[in-house]
Amino acid sequence: MVGLSEGEKHFIRGGIAQDVRTDGRRRLQFRSLSVQTGVIPQANGSARVRLGATEIIASVKAELGKPSILHPDKGKVAIFVDCSPTAEPLFEGRGSEELSAELSVSLQRCLLGGKSGAGAAIDLSSLIVVDGKVCWDLYIDGLVVSSDGNLLDALAVAIKVALSDTGIPKVNVSVSAASDEEPEVDVSDEEFLQFDTSGVPVIITLTKVGRHYIVDATSEEESQMSSAVSVSVNRHGQICGLTKRGGAGLDPSVIFDMISVAKHVSQQFISLLDSEIAAAEAEEEAQ
Amino acid sequence: MKDRHLSLNQTQRVRLEAALQELQSVAPAAVSAAAVTVADTIPVNQEDNILKGHGTSDQDGEVVATLCGVVERVNKLVYVRTLRARYKPEVGDIIVGRVIEIAPKRWRLEINFSQDAVLMLSSMNLPDGIQRRRTAVDELNMRSIFEENDVICAEVRGFQHDGSLHLQARSEKYGKLERGQLLMVAPYLVKRKKQHFHHLEKYNVDLILGCNGFIWAGEHVVVGEKPKTTGGQQGFSTEAENFTPLETRKHICRLANSVRVLSALGFTLTVELIIETMEASASSNVEINDMLGAEFYVQTAEREAKRRADLLRKKNDAR
Repeated sequence: MVGLSEGEKHFIRGGIAQDVRTDGRRRLQFRSLSVQTGVIPQANGSARVRLGATEIIASVKAELGKPSILHPDKGKVAIFVDCSPTAEPLFEGRGSEELSAELSVSLQRCLLGGKSGAGAAIDLSSLIVVDGKVCWDLYIDGLVVSSDGNLLDALAVAIKVALSDTGIPKVNVSVSAASDEEPEVDVSDEEFLQFDTSGVPVIITLTKVGRHYIVDATSEEESQMSSAVSVSVNRHGQICGLTKRGGAGLDPSVIFDMISVAKHVSQQFISLLDSEIAAAEAEEEAQ
Repeated sequence: MKDRHLSLNQTQRVRLEAALQELQSVAPAAVSAAAVTVADTIPVNQEDNILKGHGTSDQDGEVVATLCGVVERVNKLVYVRTLRARYKPEVGDIIVGRVIEIAPKRWRLEINFSQDAVLMLSSMNLPDGIQRRRTAVDELNMRSIFEENDVICAEVRGFQHDGSLHLQARSEKYGKLERGQLLMVAPYLVKRKKQHFHHLEKYNVDLILGCNGFIWAGEHVVVGEKPKTTGGQQGFSTEAENFTPLETRKHICRLANSVRVLSALGFTLTVELIIETMEASASSNVEINDMLGAEFYVQTAEREAKRRADLLRKKNDAR
């Protein structure tokens, strides 16, 4: 991305200090959010999300697999993020590997919980078909199509919308006499189980610029940040994950302020997202 | 230039289509006739000695377009001017560019052209305003005049014999632009006019419409005012006092959002239309960031359709 002149940087910092950012937003206001579902017919669920000029495509694929030995009663979920070279010239070749890996790990922490599987936003037990033998494996892929800052929040939104669009085929298991044999499974082509996404959190990133912090930073504003804290908050106001970026240290009291602000902002954001998902699903059915 | 996508609801979509239909109907017939797509026939009325220029081809004795754009004629030359294309400089154009490199005796600027523009040290006014020969000390101090990523306003001087594009900044109104924001729109939206510098006294804002599609909206700078010395890094307390005043900043952001909305709709950017859009948003109590929303987008299209229809009606009444 092209750099900014000293005067432009000063103008951006002044805008954040005076609560009038370069596009007129206040510190805690988001850019316009646009949601579209069912963009990839081959996937079990997919979504395209635009947050200002940032654009993300997320897809969910489900495959039958074998549960892990450590957790025979739970399914498996994997999250991958890829940054398209068209999003930013820096992403050409291997330029986006570090950012993609960082985004993937952040999303895994927020959505999948710890190693024990407890606290996961997705109910992994609902993915089990036959205990210890057959389960659903979910593969969640996020593709950054256009990059204008705030990628982590947009990715979390895209994954949440894609999961709400996901339909997992219904599986009928034939009971076999010998319990140690591989069970026969019949995957239905017509019946689908809808995913419960009420527990999937949203991520609110608070970017610190000067003495203030803002939500939904553009790439220009991110270039002026000293640090950024991403808080993952679910519908009930509980924190599911917390990550920090940027080189400058933060005072603990500032972090507590950020967390309370993130909880407050996330309630409005989740309501907005729910209405956008409902509108997108209605529009998809209308086609 | 990042495109903006808006999610319109059903009512807004219908209103927008109605406004665009009206804009089509009031457009002069010559305008729609001049627009061509690939393989369209360009009517030349059987004139002899037609020179087929850029974007045209001969096909069975007919002139056919090979590009999408607008047909232009200069005497016997017929060519197609594409819209979504990079900026093509002409001598005398006022442009806004960004410094990307400092080379011996010159700065290289990005101006949305296929190659970088060159601003020679000898082609600009020194900061102290004295007219004198440039010395080796001046060459060493070039970074203190313009450094990398600075935004500069300049004039196209012409192409040199080696094919490079040269700029000049000899007037006091040219030079470094500070305390504002740079917007990038498609170059075809900015028409060449006598005046590209606009000082909006009512709002204390400088608006510069660069012919290359770079538009600057910033705080007004008094010409000839001595630039403040940047000795040492300013502390936060002093920096806060140096910020742009809040009212001026709001005006700058409204103007910038007006440019964004008008360019998203594809309207030609004139200072009158930008100010009109800005004042329409202020009088309707539209929040600055809501100017980028769907509702104001549709309202702007409707207002422009009504304005052009009124203009056409006045012309018809005058006959």
